[in-house]
Amino acid sequence: MLNYRTLAVIKRELREKLMSKSFIISTILLPLFMFGILGFQTLLFSYEGGNKVVLQMITESPDLTAKLETELSNIESVKEGSYVMSYYTMTKPEFDKYLKEKKESIVKEEVSGLIFVSEAAMTDKKIQYYSKTPKDISLSDKLSGPINKVLIDNYFTSKNLSPADLDFARTGVDFTSFKVTENEKIEEEGYGNLILSYLFSFILYISLLMMGQMIMQSVLEEKNNRIVEVLLSSVHPNELMTGKVLGMGITGGIQMAIWLTPVILVISTSWFMLPPEFVFSITLLQVGYLLVNYVVGLITFLGLFATVGAIFDNAQEAQSGMWPLMMLIIIPFFIAMSMVRNPNNTIAEIASIAPFASIIVMPAKLAIVDVPIWQLIGSFVINVATIFAIFPIAGKIYRVGILRTGKKPKWSEIFAWLKYKY
Amino acid sequence: MHALEIRNLSKTFGSLKAVDNASFTVPEGSIFGLIGRNGAGKTTTIRMMMNIYLPDSGEVILRGTKVGQEFKDKVGYLPEERGLYKKMKVLETLLYFAELKGKSGKEIEKKALQYLKRFDLLDRKLAKVEDLSKGNQQKIQFIATVLHDPDFIILDEPFSGLDPINTNLLKEIILEMKQRGKVIIFSTHLMDFAEKMCDHIAMIDKGQIIVNGSLAELKQKYSQKNVSLNYEGDISFLKGHPIVEKMEDFGNSLGIRVNHPSQTQELLKLLVDHNILVKKFNANDISLHEIFIELAGKETEAVKEVHNA
Repeated sequence: MLNYRTLAVIKRELREKLMSKSFIISTILLPLFMFGILGFQTLLFSYEGGNKVVLQMITESPDLTAKLETELSNIESVKEGSYVMSYYTMTKPEFDKYLKEKKESIVKEEVSGLIFVSEAAMTDKKIQYYSKTPKDISLSDKLSGPINKVLIDNYFTSKNLSPADLDFARTGVDFTSFKVTENEKIEEEGYGNLILSYLFSFILYISLLMMGQMIMQSVLEEKNNRIVEVLLSSVHPNELMTGKVLGMGITGGIQMAIWLTPVILVISTSWFMLPPEFVFSITLLQVGYLLVNYVVGLITFLGLFATVGAIFDNAQEAQSGMWPLMMLIIIPFFIAMSMVRNPNNTIAEIASIAPFASIIVMPAKLAIVDVPIWQLIGSFVINVATIFAIFPIAGKIYRVGILRTGKKPKWSEIFAWLKYKY
Repeated sequence: MHALEIRNLSKTFGSLKAVDNASFTVPEGSIFGLIGRNGAGKTTTIRMMMNIYLPDSGEVILRGTKVGQEFKDKVGYLPEERGLYKKMKVLETLLYFAELKGKSGKEIEKKALQYLKRFDLLDRKLAKVEDLSKGNQQKIQFIATVLHDPDFIILDEPFSGLDPINTNLLKEIILEMKQRGKVIIFSTHLMDFAEKMCDHIAMIDKGQIIVNGSLAELKQKYSQKNVSLNYEGDISFLKGHPIVEKMEDFGNSLGIRVNHPSQTQELLKLLVDHNILVKKFNANDISLHEIFIELAGKETEAVKEVHNA
């Protein structure tokens, strides 16, 4: 099958796709864009809108008021002046009256809110917040910690505890993760591999979709512009399809290799110093496995996308044939994402060696759990077997499809094509 | 010696019998015309000859052996619906199509440039195909068809969309190819062109070959009793005249069929007696168009009768 005709088609595909501006730009820009989106999201979450938040802190005991004032004054936002705090001491009936007086200025937003720490809160920690917009996550994020600390201190001082005891009580549980691997080495692990798992699922997902779309467009172009008939006067449809799929497969492989370069550089050089919690452990062999498995899986998908392109006359109609393929990419992507919370769930376990799904799920799993070698080899073998199972059928539909035009075919007609002598 | 022999080709799409037991032969060194109306089965037949479609039954014999992939390298095919990669550059396109035929390297590039020069497109060699006019795209497509120096050239409606100057250039190249011993196969519904260019023809109608042979022989066979006439004057008196079987106006000439071959002289006398200015009187001459109408028309009548019965 790899004769001069197929090679000529491969060469043209590479020239066309690999050297195209859109490919170069998307390959370089996509990772930048991803980081950009992440950064932008973080920025939005931490952005308070620039408005000054004017808060009044009211307790029923002067001692507590003083302690809160000391503690809250240390908060970054208060120091910067974006939070303006004032502190009052009054009893519950006095506060109720005060709240009525202040109602108007709260509505007018002269005062952002009143925080009332009642006598009861000293034991049940239930404090009240009165505001026009009481559900303010960024506010409770900032204040609940320090207020809690004051309340705990206050509660336990009366119980005659040493500061060391207090510190103990205050500290939350800290999960330090240790990865237990096959070779019985136990190593501490941060978030690095979780992020890596996300990263793998994401780039595999994007690349599959991008390459699939590209080959479909390219087949549609040949069909629409009637180039295909000229081509078929020189090449056999199988040679044409093989050439296109391999050309695009190589393109996809190169794209994936470019996207994996940062990961490869981190593990193979000492150029980058990651913060300890982001350090990940993965071997070059595993990255290599991802790449090879991806190319094998990509070829299956490309064959299917090319077939869909051959069935239909234009991109709009092709959408309807594309959704089953999209599902084969999107569902595994979600399974891979879910695995980050629980890597050993059964669905993920099955998906990681199932045809189609394993292309995305296996690398994501590889990053967070130690996958037995037999599973790695198994999923690879299954992917290769899928190619051999899919291509005779896809090739046949492709052969019939590329030369027919006109009405959008029904699924039943497409099945009938399989029986055609072409 | 036959260059190509088509034996009992059939192809059915669903309920449509596109080609029905078609057989014909293409002699060596000929310009061969496959003639028929739109939808008669010309393109399907050609696609089967090219091994693009597998026939349901029948075979194509190329110089004694069944055609396969190797035939494709020897053939240059210009399909009716032209197609080029819009974003590809002109020279790149030509070299790609030649490469698919197994021809690459400096020699073929030189030849491509020669052809471009001949078609007055040398300055556009680095232009994108989409930036060329439709006529120029046609020329590129034609160059791509012949660049690899094929033994067989199959041209499906080659002149559609070409201006007269380029039509002549194309004819010139086709005749040149013929002189070099290439076999040229035309598919067309334009009888005039076929008549002027072809020496052998096959007529196809409703998927069936209705006639096949050398044009001269065919004409001889069908031309008895036929007169082709160019004239000035009023010939309405001929309508319904006992010696005239049929009259058909082809615009620049009139086709008249008499009832008996010996009556052609009588016809000429009638014309002169009626003061008709005879510019051209060609006895025993028939146009391809007339032959086609006679053969395919009959068929239509036969079908009509069946429907009426």
